[in-house]
Amino acid sequence: MVTVRIPETPPLTEIFQAEAVKRNLDRVRRGMDFILDRDPPVVGATPKEVIYSKGTMRLYRYRPVTDEVYRIPVVLVMSLISKPYILDLSPGQSLVEYLLREGFDVFMVDWGVPRPEDSKLTLEHYVLDSLPRNVEEVQKVTGEQEVSFLGYCMGGLFGLMYSGIFHDAPVANLVSVATPVDFEGMGLFRRWSDRRWFDLDRIVDTLGNVPPDMIFRSFEMLRPAERWAAYARLFDNLWNDAWVKNYRLFNRWVYDQIPFPGEVYRQMTKELMWENKLMKGQFTLGGRPVDLTAITCPALNIMAQHDHIAPFAATQPLTTLLGSQDKEDVVLKGGHVSLIAGRNALFRLWPQLSQWLGARSV
Amino acid sequence: MPNNNDRADVGQLWRDWLTDTERQWNTFFNDVMGTDSFGRFLGGYMDIYSTFQRLVAQNMERSLSTLNVPSRSDVLELSERLSSLEERLSSIESSINTLAAAVGHPSRPAAVTQLRPRRTRQPRSQPAGAK
Repeated sequence: MVTVRIPETPPLTEIFQAEAVKRNLDRVRRGMDFILDRDPPVVGATPKEVIYSKGTMRLYRYRPVTDEVYRIPVVLVMSLISKPYILDLSPGQSLVEYLLREGFDVFMVDWGVPRPEDSKLTLEHYVLDSLPRNVEEVQKVTGEQEVSFLGYCMGGLFGLMYSGIFHDAPVANLVSVATPVDFEGMGLFRRWSDRRWFDLDRIVDTLGNVPPDMIFRSFEMLRPAERWAAYARLFDNLWNDAWVKNYRLFNRWVYDQIPFPGEVYRQMTKELMWENKLMKGQFTLGGRPVDLTAITCPALNIMAQHDHIAPFAATQPLTTLLGSQDKEDVVLKGGHVSLIAGRNALFRLWPQLSQWLGARSV
Repeated sequence: MPNNNDRADVGQLWRDWLTDTERQWNTFFNDVMGTDSFGRFLGGYMDIYSTFQRLVAQNMERSLSTLNVPSRSDVLELSERLSSLEERLSSIESSINTLAAAVGHPSRPAAVTQLRPRRTRQPRSQPAGAK
């Protein structure tokens, strides 16, 4: 009798188990997911409720996840340029979720998507009307007088302007992340908006709100080769679940641009980009001087080493303008967005933020 | 026979090349786009763009008016009036809530505002994720 030995795994199965083949099959599968936008990533999922709204602005309180929280609530103030879910990107990669777990009582000011009629809103509306009203609502809900501001990019500017005007504002701590103050350091943005060839008034008078496409293109022009390199990296990493998920999350946010209020754009270009008034101590809102030296609360200035949107030269002088005794500069690896929302933020920025804020929120 | 190490090296070489090439192209384009000429070109483009937008808007306004159809500015006007109404309603609501609270009938707030965790947390030595 002849004994025939049947191999344990048929040869075809072995081929499909080979690493290279598996990777390429994964590439095809995830490539189709990406092209067809199957199972799009869920963003901004941390439970929250609106506690105050006016126009397009919403003030959210996130549902506390600990029985005990720090005394002083933290109010996240977002930029006007982009949607705020960058701060609550995805479960496991969310600054909001992290702060909640660390025991902070977290609120967020979401300015919303500007409507055409919002093109007439000025910085005075946001800083002199809206922010104080938001602070009042937070005080009502928490029963606490003081709040901490955590402003990202232009949100940090709003926090500075608010605290620089309302010297008795109940701001216990001021955190600014990637916030430009010296607009001479704004690189290409400054070059392109040079008054010699940039007819600002005509653009704002014609367009009203700056269209989202224009904003997107201006950011893209800062790194023109990035998109194509990103596609190449995506193809290289299509086999990697975590990588593709992260890419899709950021891609979704990057392309989810919103209009920018026209009058704010006019004001910021004329008074900050052209005249650099904030840096020179000459900036006023509603006739009231923004005196940054009058800010005496603890202040933390967080900057990204490779920030091409708010370059180091623009963000670095922030603490030098403040009157605070307790102030600190932190420079971390990363770019403008990855600093606060990238996968490494969980190990770099967020723990430092929690430690600094926590010590000053009791 | 090619081994996995060789493949890994090739892969890494490709990634390094991609990163370097991207950096070089970005630097090149940034240098070009940082010149006065480019600034003038961009300013000219924006002028043409806004002129085009204005002409299109004017023509559209005239055409829609001729057809007796609401134009963009009509819709905007309506939207502004609605916003103004919203603000007044909000102000009235706020006054009513204040009056109601004063006579002992506070309005029902959002559920999340009723959450009152103890505000006694103290910082710990190492936050989560710290290295």
